[in-house]
Amino acid sequence: MLNPFTAKQRARLRAFFSKPANIILVSFCLVLCVLTLYPLILLMVETITVHAGKEARATKLGAGELTLYSLGKIFAESKNSYSQLTFYEPLLNTLAVAITASLIAILFGGGVAWLITRTNLKFKKFISTVFVFPYIMPAWTLATFWQTFFKNVNVGTGTSNGIMAAVFGVFMPEWFVYGYFPISLVLGLHYAPFAYILIGGILRNMDANLEEAATILKTPRWRVMLRITLPIVKPALLSTLLLVFASSMSAYSVPVFLGSPVRYYVLSTKMMSLINNYPGQGYIIAAVMIIFGVSILAVNQRITGSRKSYTTVTGKSSQISLVNLRKLNVPIALILTVVMVMVAVVPLITFALESVIIKASDYSLSNMTLDFWIGRNLDYLDQGDSTGILLSAKVLKALGFSLLLAVTCSVVAGTSGVLVGYGIVKRRGSKLATAVSNLSFFPYLMPSLAFGAIYLAMSSRIPFLQGFAVLALIGSVKYLPFASRSGVNAMLQLSGEIEEAAVIVGVPWYKRMLKILFPIQKSSFLSGYLLPMVSCMRELSLFVLLVPTSNTLLTTMLMQYSEKGWAQFGNAINLLIIVVVLIVNFTVNKLTGASIDKGVGG
Amino acid sequence: MPEIILKNVTKRFGKFVAVDNLNLTIPTRSFITLLGPSGCGKTTTLRMIAGLETPTEGEIIIDGVTVFSSEKGINVPPNKRDVGFLFQNYALWPHMTVYQNIAFGLENLKWDKQRIRKRVDELLAMLKIEEFEKRYPSELSGGQQQRVAIARTLAPNPKVLFMDEPLSNLDAKLRTEMRTELKRLHIDTDSTFVYVTHDQLEAMTLSTKVCLMEKGLLQQYAAPLEMYLRPANLFVADFMGSPTMNFLKAKARKIGESACEVSFCGLKRTFTANKPLGEVPENVTLGVRPEFITIRPESDVKASVYSTLPSGMETTVKLRLGEEIITSVIFGSVDFPVDTEVCLAFNGSDMLLYDTQSGKLLADGSL
Repeated sequence: MLNPFTAKQRARLRAFFSKPANIILVSFCLVLCVLTLYPLILLMVETITVHAGKEARATKLGAGELTLYSLGKIFAESKNSYSQLTFYEPLLNTLAVAITASLIAILFGGGVAWLITRTNLKFKKFISTVFVFPYIMPAWTLATFWQTFFKNVNVGTGTSNGIMAAVFGVFMPEWFVYGYFPISLVLGLHYAPFAYILIGGILRNMDANLEEAATILKTPRWRVMLRITLPIVKPALLSTLLLVFASSMSAYSVPVFLGSPVRYYVLSTKMMSLINNYPGQGYIIAAVMIIFGVSILAVNQRITGSRKSYTTVTGKSSQISLVNLRKLNVPIALILTVVMVMVAVVPLITFALESVIIKASDYSLSNMTLDFWIGRNLDYLDQGDSTGILLSAKVLKALGFSLLLAVTCSVVAGTSGVLVGYGIVKRRGSKLATAVSNLSFFPYLMPSLAFGAIYLAMSSRIPFLQGFAVLALIGSVKYLPFASRSGVNAMLQLSGEIEEAAVIVGVPWYKRMLKILFPIQKSSFLSGYLLPMVSCMRELSLFVLLVPTSNTLLTTMLMQYSEKGWAQFGNAINLLIIVVVLIVNFTVNKLTGASIDKGVGG
Repeated sequence: MPEIILKNVTKRFGKFVAVDNLNLTIPTRSFITLLGPSGCGKTTTLRMIAGLETPTEGEIIIDGVTVFSSEKGINVPPNKRDVGFLFQNYALWPHMTVYQNIAFGLENLKWDKQRIRKRVDELLAMLKIEEFEKRYPSELSGGQQQRVAIARTLAPNPKVLFMDEPLSNLDAKLRTEMRTELKRLHIDTDSTFVYVTHDQLEAMTLSTKVCLMEKGLLQQYAAPLEMYLRPANLFVADFMGSPTMNFLKAKARKIGESACEVSFCGLKRTFTANKPLGEVPENVTLGVRPEFITIRPESDVKASVYSTLPSGMETTVKLRLGEEIITSVIFGSVDFPVDTEVCLAFNGSDMLLYDTQSGKLLADGSL
């Protein structure tokens, strides 16, 4: 017998679950807990667990037992300065690189944003178009370019001369080619477009009246800049600084190309080298990175949510008078154009060039061939394959796999984003909606490599979570923040009445979604699909720990070729990835108006 | 004392002409309203006088000083024109407190701290916002933000004050309240006000003179009542007044020095002009304000009630006269049942006769 009280409760439950939004929220809440919080706890457990192999031998304990061995090794082992070399030095390097990179990004990106929005700079159109290129291209593009361009026999592993040494006879010193300086610079340049997009957006939307009001009150121009413009964009500046800092801190591909050859380690590269032999120590570094990432972004949330932060309302006059750069105009425009060409165009040419020369460091026409692209059964290629990459079964398989993975992640993450957006907006303000909103943003806070480590820990315990399954799962979860954010934004722009009008005439929920809501906000929703797809195509650090073999994905294959010093194939594959990413981005952009540079960081 | 003169001022954005050859003299201590539908060029005109926008052609003189001349290549920047500007969205600096917002302009003038303190306190008291001194703009209501913006604009005692639809973001009640205070402020500050609005009621109630613009062209520049009673053309007549004026298509035939016979809505009447008439075309439009059409127990004009809209103090009655629907406003609250037969009369000597084709006012008189 049921008493009347439970009957009432059951009725309430039934009413609660009769709303699709509630079903969505409850199920995503559960799934996301399993996919983000559970692995996080697992990772923490792994840091104090003994793993089979070197750890078990060193501790003389059985695999699976608990130990403080790894923690001691990482934080307090003075023998051979072990902790110093494995943890503290990489930590300091990481901080130094991240600080420098974020300053470069802010100054360069913010400076260009100001030039574009507030001055009469020439070639504005060209500069603003090309400026976002490095952000669309994979992060390592510039790094590999730097390496191939400046490497020479005197520095690093020093096997061959790059263009600078071979053609111009200039041998750059080691600090210039590898280590702190190039890593910071390349990361800074890569994230500068991100700063440019964020700060430029604020400057463009900032009510020009605010500056005009000061001008009318007899404020000199420099004072307007100092007392009005800068303070108003300050929260955005700070937020950009933190986001770039967090991203550079967790960057893996750039330091691996430009640091590892001279044993310059940051946390991410150190973790990668530890994870096979000493998983416990690797996981500790991953945990440290996560703690850093989460706390930085928590600080960011505090800043953007505090009393003095403000959204600037757009005034009706956006015809602000532009600063006349006078004599500086042409020089600045020229310098920027040259820099942009160097950063966005020259790397592609270099990769193309490097992929067609037979003998390294010889750039004469007689030394060139297309065999590395379209050759067949040529033993002299001698780089693990005798066929050019466009015909090679191995490469094509990896390309297919990469594309399949990208599409899968984009479909899963994009669709989840639409659903989550619907659920959150429908139940706005409720505890459940806030919880799901936070949970779906959580993966954004996690450094990719560390997130990969977490899933590695998880997949080692769950038998069916291997190969494609784990890659697709982690990709979908990691890119959910992009998708759910565009889903929420799209839904917020739709008034509730649009759906209610359909509810009144009895249109079922799935039909409302497919026939009404989705078509109206097509472009916003689609950008929720595009972002995961493009990001996935160019992703390395998230997958590198999880691929069954390095031939699985194009990006990891590139990594392997680069480690083995197979320059021509490496450069050809590099170019192939960049071209695929650019094509996907611009096709989708043309078709739907969505573009990767409109998304949140990464 | 500042007098503002605009000579042949034109502003083009590409091919679009925002302001077309505008000539205007704004007398000292006047309260001028630039009135017109959105996109008519009124805000552009204001911004050009303030120096926030550069005219394509023409000359602007403030207080005897040429601040802009396309011919002489003069363009004095806004911060040297000695004017105040009140923005539609207030443009309060979000990162400064109320006090800092008001004091900012005075700091630019290198006033000493005590003097600034005294002046800000004075303004805070004048606009009744003393208790908000330490707040940030985001912590104030719309009406309070508005007052802070006014205080900030008034702080350096500008002799000319420009206002760009300052009341349009307020609710109806606050708007009426602020209107009263702005009029008061105009007397108290003893300065010239130039005010942009699209609300004809605001223009009527506030200004000493109204400048009505449409599509960049000046339509009429006159005192509010004159504009109301003698609109220079059909556009002005239609724009001013609510409910709008009745326009009755009519055929006219001149029958005397200052009289002509007009036939409209099946009626034949004699229009007696207040002054001798010139040429009268055949196609004319009679303009009759709703308050000059009254409902009588007895008269020779019969109409039926289409609908009645009582609002308490007055009642708007829509009447069917022949083929046309005309509007009448009568004092007090009356509710006529629909389709009642009533008699009506055209009262007074403020009937207007327009040339239908050119839209120009031909004469005023009685029917």
